[in-house]
Amino acid sequence: MVNWQCATDNRFSSFTVYLKLKQTKMKNIFSLKKLWSLFYFIGGLALMGGIWELISSLTKNEIPSPKNTWVVFKEVMQNPMQDDPDYKGIGVKLLSSLKRVAIGFGCGSLVAIPIGMLMGSNKIIMNIINPMVQILRPVSPLAWFPLGLAIFQDSPQASIFMIFICSLWPTLINTAFGVAHIPQDHKNVGKAFGFSTWKNITKIIVPYTLPHILTGLRLSIGVAWMVIVAGEMLSGGMGLGYFVWEEGFNGGSVAKIIVAIIIIGIVGLMLDKIFMTLQKRFSYAV
Amino acid sequence: MSSSAIAPIQVSEKIKTVSDVKLKPILNHGKSIEIKNVSVSFKTSKGIYTAVENISLSVKKGEIVSLIGHSGCGKSTVMGTISGMVKPTSGEVYANEEIVSKPGPDRGIVFQNYSLLPWLTVYRNIYEAVDSAIKYKTAKEKKELVVNNLKMVNLWEHKDKLPGQLSGGMKQRVAIARAFAINPSILLLDEPFGALDALTKSNMHVELLKLWNLDNREKTIVMVTHDVAEAIFLSDRVVVMNNGPAATIKEIVDVPLARPRNKKEIVHDECYMAIHDRLLSLLIDKFSIDDIK
Repeated sequence: MVNWQCATDNRFSSFTVYLKLKQTKMKNIFSLKKLWSLFYFIGGLALMGGIWELISSLTKNEIPSPKNTWVVFKEVMQNPMQDDPDYKGIGVKLLSSLKRVAIGFGCGSLVAIPIGMLMGSNKIIMNIINPMVQILRPVSPLAWFPLGLAIFQDSPQASIFMIFICSLWPTLINTAFGVAHIPQDHKNVGKAFGFSTWKNITKIIVPYTLPHILTGLRLSIGVAWMVIVAGEMLSGGMGLGYFVWEEGFNGGSVAKIIVAIIIIGIVGLMLDKIFMTLQKRFSYAV
Repeated sequence: MSSSAIAPIQVSEKIKTVSDVKLKPILNHGKSIEIKNVSVSFKTSKGIYTAVENISLSVKKGEIVSLIGHSGCGKSTVMGTISGMVKPTSGEVYANEEIVSKPGPDRGIVFQNYSLLPWLTVYRNIYEAVDSAIKYKTAKEKKELVVNNLKMVNLWEHKDKLPGQLSGGMKQRVAIARAFAINPSILLLDEPFGALDALTKSNMHVELLKLWNLDNREKTIVMVTHDVAEAIFLSDRVVVMNNGPAATIKEIVDVPLARPRNKKEIVHDECYMAIHDRLLSLLIDKFSIDDIK
């Protein structure tokens, strides 16, 4: 412990300690387990690439080969931040999609978390709201789009509305479940020591429910990211969905569709990872 | 004790006994807890279940009383009526001459399964309780209280750990420090040492009495337990309960052993053995298979 502090305070005087530190760090990165998982990952990619290549040759390049797609990918990625009135780069499109998801998802979560908490803490509220949730939850998010269009008279806002609606349910249900299942032991602490309502919320309800809320948010962001592409196909004008439809399908470039699919997949994975990291950060040993 | 060959110990023992005699009449004046004809029933799917019926008990200030009985006999229910967590169906409970309707800062509770909040550090667990229960003190005074109580149970160096990183005995010490920190006049312990191993349990008994002594033996302690030896070592009176449903008090056994009590010596005391036998025969009907006719 002391040595470690030396290493950070004065690196030159205890260079060996610093080296040792570096070695342990290297060990962590290149542990055998990680090496194997990397190996499997590359193997999986290679397998997928092989199947892709096979399909491509079977369809006589109707579906472009990985190599051709790579060429198109580089082309698409050339000026990602190009922001002209007549042409917008892929990066700008991605950001506009993300922005809409963020607004819709953010508003949805801000509504879902408090309502979920009310539902979980009060049986009557649960009985009032739950039937509505059960009826509205299975509705396809796309069905909300025309309603949003009718309300806002504006297609980008309609797609935000759609994201808002579909990111409500998983968060709402998980939050309500979490609050309803707070152990009696924890509630007793608040009761026995006379916690105020505010303290009950901040010190017992929220910390206990946080992992549940984060699970809900993780499911919600997954749905939101799935739905935005469909929404943008309907609304047109901006975003990744529009890119798939307009430049890919209407432009007759299957390669561009595949490129978009890969980008959508990777961004979706990263969004999921962010919430997974948050989930890990806020889970605690009992 | 008189057979001991080492003189200095005898002297110090005598001094302690004298202080005991002097302190007792001063301290044990008012009634701390008064339970009057309390019955508790619960509504269940199979109808009304009466847990305890017609319980009356009064506890003096500074007294330690144990409730003992078989599992499910309603010991914890009686405890709950004192703490205010359980509402009696009929009858009243008075704590410090005021009727109990809800939990209050005059009664500190130590729960069976520690009930620490797993996302708060040891320090925060105690601080949040102190912060809520004590209204009239400044933040600085509250922090001091937490620090003192943590040091008292020797957990100061573990203050930044989460409950999940502590052993069972340490968790229980945190729970006890939390209950002491709000400085209640009544301390309610619901099977506090039930989940601990025998050695840790023994140490905790001594620690509990140490804390009680540090506070001039002014705190009234009511404890629920399964352990006959524990009940005798700690208490002034042992309340034996009948089996539920509709449990009642079977007998109240006095424990007139002088304090401070020595864990090792006390078991050879004739009075101790008599009480131990009495409690066992109250709790257990058949001692061996030969008894079955």
